[in-house]
Amino acid sequence: MSAVAISLDIGGTFTDFVVRDAEGGIETYKSSTTNGRISDGIFNGLTMIAERRGVRLSGLLGECRSFACGTTVATNAILERKTAKTALLCTEGFRDTLLIREGGKADTYNLWVDFPEPFLPRRLTFGITERMNAEGGMETPLDEAQVHAAIAQMKHWGVEAVAVSLLWSISNPAHEIRIGEIIAETWPEIPVSLGHQVHPTIREYRRTSATAIDASLKPIVYRNVNELRARLETSGFSGVLTLVTSNGGRTSIEEVMAKPVYLCMSGPSAIPHAGSEIARMERIDHGNIITVDMGGTSFDVSVTTAWQTPMHREGMIGGELFGVPSVEVLTIGAGGGSIARVDTGGFIHVGPESAGAFPGPACYGRGGQRATVTDANLVRGLIDPDGFADGQMQLSRAAAEKVIADDIGMPLGMTVAEAASLICLTIEQNMVGAIEEITVRRGVDPRDFLLVSGGSAGGLHAAAIARELGICRVIVPRAAGVLSAFGIDRGDVKFNFGQSLFTSSLGFAYERVGKVLAELEREGRAYLDRMGVPDQHRELQFTAEARYAGQVWQLSVPLARPEIRDETDLAVFIEAFHRLHETHYSVRSPEDAVEITEFNLVAIGRGEPRVESDKIAKVQSVPQPKWRRVFLKEEGGEIDLAVYDLETMPFGHTVEGPCLIQDKLTVSLVPSAAKAYVTEHHSILIDLVNPELTPATSQTAASS
Amino acid sequence: MAQATQPTIDMFTMVVLRRRFEAIIGDMVNALFKSGRSGVLNTAKDFTCSITDAKLQTVSAAVGLPVHASAIDLIPRAVVEKYGDDIRPGDCFANNSAYHGNTHCGDFTLCAPVFFEGKLVFHTIARAHLADMGFPTPTTYGPLARDVYEEGLLIPCVRIQRERRDVTEVIDICKANIRAPSQFYGDYLACLAAVRTGERGIEELCVRYGRETVLAFLDQYQDYAERMTVEAIRRLPAFRVEKEAFHDAVIPGAPGIPVRAILTIDPDAAMIEIDLRNNVDNLPLGINMSESTTTASCRNGVLSMLGPDIPRCTGAYRRIRLLLREGAAVGKPRFPAATSAATTNLCQVLSPLVQSLFAGVAPGLGAGFATVGNPASCAVVSGRDMRHGGRAFANQIIMGYWGGGGVHGHDGWLTNGGSGAAGVLNQASVEIVEQQQPIIVERLEVGEDSAGPGQWDGAPGALCVYRARQDEVRFTANSGGRDHPPAGIAMGRAGGFNRTWKIDTDGRKTEMPAFLDTVLQKGESLVSQACGGGGFGDPLKRDPGRVAQRLEEGWISKSHASELYGVVTSYDGERVLVDVPATEVRRASLGEDIRQ
Repeated sequence: MSAVAISLDIGGTFTDFVVRDAEGGIETYKSSTTNGRISDGIFNGLTMIAERRGVRLSGLLGECRSFACGTTVATNAILERKTAKTALLCTEGFRDTLLIREGGKADTYNLWVDFPEPFLPRRLTFGITERMNAEGGMETPLDEAQVHAAIAQMKHWGVEAVAVSLLWSISNPAHEIRIGEIIAETWPEIPVSLGHQVHPTIREYRRTSATAIDASLKPIVYRNVNELRARLETSGFSGVLTLVTSNGGRTSIEEVMAKPVYLCMSGPSAIPHAGSEIARMERIDHGNIITVDMGGTSFDVSVTTAWQTPMHREGMIGGELFGVPSVEVLTIGAGGGSIARVDTGGFIHVGPESAGAFPGPACYGRGGQRATVTDANLVRGLIDPDGFADGQMQLSRAAAEKVIADDIGMPLGMTVAEAASLICLTIEQNMVGAIEEITVRRGVDPRDFLLVSGGSAGGLHAAAIARELGICRVIVPRAAGVLSAFGIDRGDVKFNFGQSLFTSSLGFAYERVGKVLAELEREGRAYLDRMGVPDQHRELQFTAEARYAGQVWQLSVPLARPEIRDETDLAVFIEAFHRLHETHYSVRSPEDAVEITEFNLVAIGRGEPRVESDKIAKVQSVPQPKWRRVFLKEEGGEIDLAVYDLETMPFGHTVEGPCLIQDKLTVSLVPSAAKAYVTEHHSILIDLVNPELTPATSQTAASS
Repeated sequence: MAQATQPTIDMFTMVVLRRRFEAIIGDMVNALFKSGRSGVLNTAKDFTCSITDAKLQTVSAAVGLPVHASAIDLIPRAVVEKYGDDIRPGDCFANNSAYHGNTHCGDFTLCAPVFFEGKLVFHTIARAHLADMGFPTPTTYGPLARDVYEEGLLIPCVRIQRERRDVTEVIDICKANIRAPSQFYGDYLACLAAVRTGERGIEELCVRYGRETVLAFLDQYQDYAERMTVEAIRRLPAFRVEKEAFHDAVIPGAPGIPVRAILTIDPDAAMIEIDLRNNVDNLPLGINMSESTTTASCRNGVLSMLGPDIPRCTGAYRRIRLLLREGAAVGKPRFPAATSAATTNLCQVLSPLVQSLFAGVAPGLGAGFATVGNPASCAVVSGRDMRHGGRAFANQIIMGYWGGGGVHGHDGWLTNGGSGAAGVLNQASVEIVEQQQPIIVERLEVGEDSAGPGQWDGAPGALCVYRARQDEVRFTANSGGRDHPPAGIAMGRAGGFNRTWKIDTDGRKTEMPAFLDTVLQKGESLVSQACGGGGFGDPLKRDPGRVAQRLEEGWISKSHASELYGVVTSYDGERVLVDVPATEVRRASLGEDIRQ
């Protein structure tokens, strides 16, 4: 079967592939990621896939219509500070905006921490005499001579990219535009990013940070993307190449190269969509999904309510705010490599410190000397030391037992098995805390939700986490090991557009608002034209950022139509704002004026509805478990546990917990008083019987 | 230690219940933040939530400002002392009185009893700094207030809800005295949402795990925190040291106000004692400390030196003995002493003083002093805004609240603010400030040479300039550090001085006093140079590469680099480079000078 679409996610350790054929069937692959040029890693994987499918590379790519790519190139460049040598032009008197950030400190009680250095150093920051005010009036004219002097200096220093971010450029961009023109005239080859274009939002730090990141990524993104495009073309690819952005959608490489800041979080941003698509495939009708992905060092959580996944503009990478709209994914330091320790008072802690992939857990035998979650699962007997990562790695149970005994068992006076259980309980509690952070704290009751669990070992903890939260149903999808690539395969075409405009319900600027909305609509339609999205698949979602006068945080209010033409339209909008405010904060202030600060648009090209074909061979025989000696504290200690091989389980087959279900790359634990059912797509659906709580699987809205 | 009759909680349950308590407090914080109306709540996050059991033992992980959190047990103590058996389900008590365990009058604190199976088992507490509490002038800090009668509304631990319904008389008194009554009521509801959220969370916890288990957990948790503290103290030598530090006097240049403390470490008994009885008597000023802020500053100062891992709860506090004197400016106030600036000023000297007492105890301990007072960049600004039809405004701007002290191995935390905030507060955005007030911020940058030099520098102070637009704007601030800037430690130098000037439309520059209250007319500006944090260790031992970097960035001058750090540099047209041999020679000779 020829491949029509290839979707991949380049992670730090592995590149995951989902290859779809014309019938809708998918195959998944994993290959090692190479450092340096991203196209090398991709082509190593493609060569491997072509071999496995028995075709030539040119054949594989020649048939392919869509090539979609999630990449950590931006994320890693920021984390490792390997971005271009970038200079910042800002308003004179405000060179420390990137240093100050917004205050707050993660660990109040720890004095012994360094304050982070600014994303761009002050020596590459040029204060330019100019000033606009909050209403867009000019306080001080632009000193063009200073701009020319800065350009000469930057050229001399070998600057590779320039960010321009001035105070109040959102209310009057004239000076930013003029600086952009001067640079274009005198130094046309240098990449430039202007604040009011990259991220037109109030709060100078957020806009400046996004702009600085955007400029600093341009050279590296240009290089990598152009190279990938050229190599794909020479290898016979003639379809559409797209990249996944921070908003979780796909977009053309031209859009990404114009605003590379949108590549932040590319990859993980597709996970919430993967969770939704899996739920749809498995005929979950309420659309309330918590999607988690447990990796080696981190645990990602996102929440989808009635098929809507919240977006936010506070996305951070390594402490740097990139700001542009991104899918809200909460990441905590909890994974297989998380390190366990006991403090001097005799309390256990697990994570956020991680042994990562190198040296990794002690059981990897690569020099890891400290107890980790993977070691604990091995000691509990839940990981097969001979079958880890599809048999690609042999694990040492003796090494795992030793570190757990030394680090946890001895100090707490526990057996190794009990200590291993305590490590797992502790990391599960951390994960529960992360899920509560974006459910309970947002007024969302997680008991009404489906938990979709990704990551190779996520299935070992998913049921325990669900039980703690009162969730009754868990799905461990067949694509659990390549969740993000799966989400990319299913993703929509999507890009964001925005404009700042300050107005108030007292004296509403109908004309200016009309102009801004019309411009946004034009931009959105032109984008969908460029992406070749047919009319029936187009969607334009307009929102306004609004607040009560006196407030400083805005809410995004959806606009049913892209126009507010008269008092009637305005009244409808104001009422929508009151209602939204009440939903979020339980109060409304009908007597207060409502202010608008921005208008935004998401232009979406919905994917074709997919027909799933069942590629799993029909298994007729009743699967026979193997038995393994394991330690499960909640089952009373050491027991013989049934271990099923997912490959041998037919659609519809149901097994009772406690048992383990193993697949090539994943393993799931079904606890007692739970049933696991194999779906037609070979996902494992676990139903938890929880006598304390009423099942709520068919309820719809989560928040009231 | 735990009584033998109670069930012993296994480590599995301990892990779970610790997380559950953290989750409940997280829910309380969330409820308050999301529904608070004034800027200090929903922008700066100037509030704290906590829980104690009926024995007034706090649970770890109180979320908020250290000066708010670390003696919050005094609040339910006041409730129990005042109401005894007359505490019933559905009650809620309000308190802003420094004579009833509160921090200062600007902090409005609610406390609700939690009953389970008919017994009072817990108290939930929410403390929020409100924008106004009916002070005579538009501020919540009154450094010049002579006594409590000049500090606005006093709420001496009174019942504000009975059977979950407002006691309307109390609400009416508050509304009648507070400038923005509807904003006050909104903030009250936000605090109430927090304590009721906590109450519900604890009830659910008791249903799920059983009251006995939950209470036994809390006891065992205190024992755990105490063990951590004991272990940490036992690693220290027996030690006794006394020291004084100074806060500026009201009159610029006059002798300062001393803050004195004696530290005794007894590793055998695993106890640390802080004796503050030798401090001066209450002053006719609002900077007198309250019992709550004195206690919290000492607990924070000591525990910060014992390590970040120790849970900040009652078990840990058991190992810290405080000797306070009633009627002392640093101690317990004697009625009717004024205390409205009890969370800043002297308070911001005391906590670093306690930390600095540890400098001789073991290498690497101690910390440079952090910023003192609210610099003029953090003024309370008020007036009317003609851009919005003459709308009245009164807000504290948290901007340029910096100046953390240097510590061993690390320069000071930039956005630290005073020791009581310790980096928790959010810093305002210039654009938001200009949108909310009719002012232009002309500059907000690191002040050159404002950081206290050390092997590890203090954080710099902000140079901030405000200009009034078409409207007149009133600025009030209780700054400090004009004459006594934050001190360095272990041969580290003091941070730069705090100074405030007003510049009139003719360009004339007039220096303002530390406790300033001034009106800017159209076109006039206010220049605020905040003090920097004190350095840690000998600046001659600072990594010369770091000195060159700070010079390159304009944080320090070339003369500072050469004279204080002994670093000789050259400039290659782009980067500042260290001249290594010349630096060695210069440092050797500067070292000689110091020894002579």
